[in-house]
Amino acid sequence: MNEHVRALRDALLARDHHRFRQPSDAAHDEAFAAGLAARGVPPVLRASARLADVLDRERPVLLPGERIVLTRTVPTTPEMLTPAERADVAAHGRVHELGKVCNVCPDYATAIASGLLAPRSQAEAGLVGASPAQRDFLQAVVESIDAVLRLVDRYAALARREGRTELAEVLERAPRTGATTFAEALQGFRVLHYALWASFSYHNTIGRFDLHLWPYLDADLRAGRLDRDQALDLVEEFFLTFNRDSDLYPGVQQGDNGQSLVLGGVDRDGVEVWNELSVLSLEASLELGLIDPKINVRVSSATGLDRYVSGTRLTARGLGFPQYSNDDVVVPGLVGLGYDVRDARDYVVAACWEFIIPGVGMDVPNIAALSFPAAVNTAVHERLASATSFAEIQQAAHQAVADQAAELAGATRGLVMEPAPLLSVLMTGCLERRADVSTGLRYNNYGIHGVGLSTAADSLAAIRTLVFDRGDVTPAALLEALDDDFAGHDALRESLRRAPKLGNDDDEVDLLAAGLLGAFAAALAPLHNDRGGVFRAGTGSAMYYLLHAQQLGATPDGRRSGECLSANLAPSLGVKVRGPLSLLHSFTKLPLVAAPNGGPVTIEVHDTVFRTTGSTEKVAMLVRSFIQDGGHQLQLNALDRDTLLDAQVHPERHRNLIVRVWGWSAYFVELDRAYQDQIIQRVELAP
Amino acid sequence: MRDDGAGPPGAGVTGVVLEVEEFAVHDGPGIRTVVFLKGCPLRCTWCHNPEAITFGPQRLAGHEPRVVGVRTDVATLAARVLRFERLLVESGGGVTFSGGEPMAQARFLVAAAGVLRPLHVAVETSAHVAPAVFARVVAAVDLVMVDVKHTDPEIHRRHTGRDNALVLENVRQLVAGTTPFVVRVPLIPGVNDDPANLERTARLVAGAPALRGVELLPYNTMAPAKYARAGRVFRPGFDTTRPPRVDPTVFERYDIPCEVL
Repeated sequence: MNEHVRALRDALLARDHHRFRQPSDAAHDEAFAAGLAARGVPPVLRASARLADVLDRERPVLLPGERIVLTRTVPTTPEMLTPAERADVAAHGRVHELGKVCNVCPDYATAIASGLLAPRSQAEAGLVGASPAQRDFLQAVVESIDAVLRLVDRYAALARREGRTELAEVLERAPRTGATTFAEALQGFRVLHYALWASFSYHNTIGRFDLHLWPYLDADLRAGRLDRDQALDLVEEFFLTFNRDSDLYPGVQQGDNGQSLVLGGVDRDGVEVWNELSVLSLEASLELGLIDPKINVRVSSATGLDRYVSGTRLTARGLGFPQYSNDDVVVPGLVGLGYDVRDARDYVVAACWEFIIPGVGMDVPNIAALSFPAAVNTAVHERLASATSFAEIQQAAHQAVADQAAELAGATRGLVMEPAPLLSVLMTGCLERRADVSTGLRYNNYGIHGVGLSTAADSLAAIRTLVFDRGDVTPAALLEALDDDFAGHDALRESLRRAPKLGNDDDEVDLLAAGLLGAFAAALAPLHNDRGGVFRAGTGSAMYYLLHAQQLGATPDGRRSGECLSANLAPSLGVKVRGPLSLLHSFTKLPLVAAPNGGPVTIEVHDTVFRTTGSTEKVAMLVRSFIQDGGHQLQLNALDRDTLLDAQVHPERHRNLIVRVWGWSAYFVELDRAYQDQIIQRVELAP
Repeated sequence: MRDDGAGPPGAGVTGVVLEVEEFAVHDGPGIRTVVFLKGCPLRCTWCHNPEAITFGPQRLAGHEPRVVGVRTDVATLAARVLRFERLLVESGGGVTFSGGEPMAQARFLVAAAGVLRPLHVAVETSAHVAPAVFARVVAAVDLVMVDVKHTDPEIHRRHTGRDNALVLENVRQLVAGTTPFVVRVPLIPGVNDDPANLERTARLVAGAPALRGVELLPYNTMAPAKYARAGRVFRPGFDTTRPPRVDPTVFERYDIPCEVL
């Protein structure tokens, strides 16, 4: 990192730019929706009016030395519906999260190349013969683009006033008519990404940065306009922009902002993507050491060790990423769900780990979450007293999984989302169809997380071992202990906790988990949602490892009511497994191709692993081995428990301590205590 | 309980295994699986594996009492370790026997090393064993990681319970031999971290053709709770609050590669 970038990074971390922020204006935000309602403005035009409202109130800021500009000064984006209207929407449809289009991957590349005037013309041309609804949409597109260009013009004017001629020229040209250089492409990207956030789209992913931006960089390098060091500086400056306003973005916790960037993999034709920009991106992230953008690396059984080594340097830095995903599993998985193979090859990672398709995917990959342990508990409470074999319990658990899956799928009907005309510009086919992205795209599938698989498998394993194999425990005794939340049943609980556990490369238990996941995928396979899409089974947990746990009674693995579940795929919290080799191998036995919504194996590595030379390579080999064995996705945390405990007591000393939470990296001290505690529990028994 | 490495090796030979640790990265080259054998003739005041001291399975106290140490036959151990043979071999790693004092179960160790042969086999030893036993084990492995805790017999006795006569004799075997070896020094503040002791340690092995280097392991405080659970009292006999002096230059002067772990 050169001095110039270091200064920008220091200023960012010191939050110097916060002084430009305008006070939040609740009165304005409230009056805004009321005004639109009074005028009877249709939803899609409200969305463009909202974007214009925010951007027109922005005050351009050129931070000292920065070359990729646009900083938020308006801290909030107003709702476009009044509280009464929102209540009405919620009463008549299903509102997912905040009711906005989110967690998709825009096709930035096309708009960066063409500039915004081209889609604007296309929208205007489309007005001919348009229906009233289509007219509203196209008009909203034009107004959205105009709002973005007005802001860019004001930035350009400021740059001129301050003598920043080069910057002014970039701003005057690239957003309008398209980028011709790498620097222009990055500025063009920043404009689009910034405007999406301002439009209230959120979890705005970044996508395949090395695939789409490489042609610009390649041309600059060949023409001698840039050398490698200058390119690295630009990438670093660009990465800094993702950390500038991120505290203003909505998310469950600070850091949960969906700014996922994907490197590597194959292109739509199946040709491998890995270029100097891929390398520079890893280098930039390593030098900056910030939580955004969150790096994902696509790999396959053919990927060489050097790529894992580069990735592991980031892990060793304690960033909680890269997250790896395996094309050998993900691409066939998506094809199996009906994705065209060329689209499947183009997959990216959504906010956390869900696999989505840029430009053409309007999937909602986190629409619901299935609780595996709740299904097992249902089976236990309904059948254990009368069951004559373990197979009956297992079958009942699979049935309960299927019932729960069907119920969750059924409850997705009537999804309503606010229109997103600006995002529609960046999604394939919206302008041609003259319809907003919120009405659907090529892919309209819904993903359902699968939570607590290890607790569920461990519960089944304990029942099989103690009740059926050994006969040490009667069904009545186990049911009573569960009802009593193990109070007064210490010895029984201890026996349950010593039963075989998932994560020890023990087929007996691992295949119980495989059965549960298979039942989940099979239950969803024949179902369709009311947008014509299918359902995707997943292995992620999101925040449900806390939420489900709070509603889940005692489980037959010895877990007490309310105790946390593990995040994503991991051994149950509090279970010490044989080690990372066994752990990783256990999870490769799951039917991962059938459950391609995403959700990584999540492991903690003690940071002392990295203290000797050669350790980075060893960890890289461990990751490669998981991928070669057919693992689908992996994230690693390199942590030290004592540091985490100290950070709880002295947060001021650990402001930059980064942890991976469930699918994203965050600053530990900015998390709520419950999330902090769960991470400390994970680390305590790190293999 | 102890065996001396003599007698016919075979897959049926048993030993008491404290733990099998996967993905060890500091115990020899590459990725290694470390097999901790239970039982040790020394009583080092800084021991960080007090549950490895006594021979045979042992019940640990605590709020979740459990038994540590399992009598295991060679075939069972080999199946466990070789499950990940590909990764271990690919990484240039293998298996490392540690303890306790693994050479105190020499027959088991030699038999297991024979069965695990596709892998690189290393042993971590205090060298406090009969020279004949030491020789048999050394002949069966690819790398010896030998502790030299102190060069002075009396100080060695004070801090480990035994003098260093066997250790020095066995180290001389290594110096004269061809099996690659690494010298490890646990750096204990005020006990052996002085330049004079390290200098004598360097002189002991300098120039040995099979010497691969020296590894310094600075003492770090550990919870004395582990001692209580193993039914022992933690009597360090040195200042546990002060960090040890870590100076690899002594060895570099003798042209011995030195790494701090």
